[in-house]
Amino acid sequence: MFKYVKHLNYPINIQKKDLKMAKNLLTQFGGSNGELAASLRYFSQKFSMPDEKGKALLNDIATEELGHCEMICTMVSQLVKDATVEELKANGLESLYTEHGKGVYPTDSFGNPFTVTYFAVTGDTLADLSEDMAAEQKARAIYENLIDETDDEDVLAPLLFLRQREVVHFNRFKELYKYYKNKGY
Amino acid sequence: MLFDNTDFNYEIGFFKIPGSDFSKEMRTDKFLTPEEGFLRGNLFRDEYVPYKNLTYYKLKGENERETMLLKLMSYAFAIVDLNLYLDLHPEDQNAFMLFKKYTKEKCDVEEAYTEKYGPLIVTDTTGNTFNWIKNPWPWDKTGGTKYV
Repeated sequence: MFKYVKHLNYPINIQKKDLKMAKNLLTQFGGSNGELAASLRYFSQKFSMPDEKGKALLNDIATEELGHCEMICTMVSQLVKDATVEELKANGLESLYTEHGKGVYPTDSFGNPFTVTYFAVTGDTLADLSEDMAAEQKARAIYENLIDETDDEDVLAPLLFLRQREVVHFNRFKELYKYYKNKGY
Repeated sequence: MLFDNTDFNYEIGFFKIPGSDFSKEMRTDKFLTPEEGFLRGNLFRDEYVPYKNLTYYKLKGENERETMLLKLMSYAFAIVDLNLYLDLHPEDQNAFMLFKKYTKEKCDVEEAYTEKYGPLIVTDTTGNTFNWIKNPWPWDKTGGTKYV
């Protein structure tokens, strides 16, 4: 089961609206390499991990990723909060506003809705963990693209934090992969 | 303000609140202190990989509430990173000792925070009103509260 804690993993308080950035950031919620896909991927894969190390790590990273979803949604929400409809239209968010108002809906930066086909559960330990390692690297790359797109420190600080989490998660998955490989899986 | 690798000072004490002295925090070669790790997003001294010339931001609470919450968040962060590491290395006594120490310290800050500012988990709702629902929620801009 899960319990909610009423604070973010890292503080977010964005003062300046940036509608294009909001649209781009959305992909780290509902895109193929985003946090929602990450969370659901590890959550689903944990049921076929063969021993206590794999069950624990997949479970615990899945949980952390759900917190990262909340961070991304918080950023998107704060970036569009004070925008007028005219501003949304002028920045290419007209379709987004039509479908979702200022709500935060999981899509990629093109507006493609989230789908579970973004990830796999094979039941094969090494195959799943290889995907997990790749997923962390891809998410890191997307964070770097997003970091390149802004100079707002209120946005950069949480993005740098989230990028670093991909680095750590990759290392843990890699350790787990090697452990199972050595065990003969 | 951004810091690059060369001007990072490990001895800078962040988020000091009365009664705490981070300069006395336990440090090992492997793990950074909770506040250093939290700011970086990485508790491991050797695993930290900055992007280009960008490292991390130094956060400072602007009032007691923010300062306490930042301290609590830094403990929560350290606990998560130790948790993931211990999942794979449960025999590491040093990591386990740090995990227990930070868990205890987080509980102490959390208790003090909850008493003054309300619950962070629903079962900590005490007193005469159900103040769990009170703003701000974590995604709200908090009207003058800069960081949290």
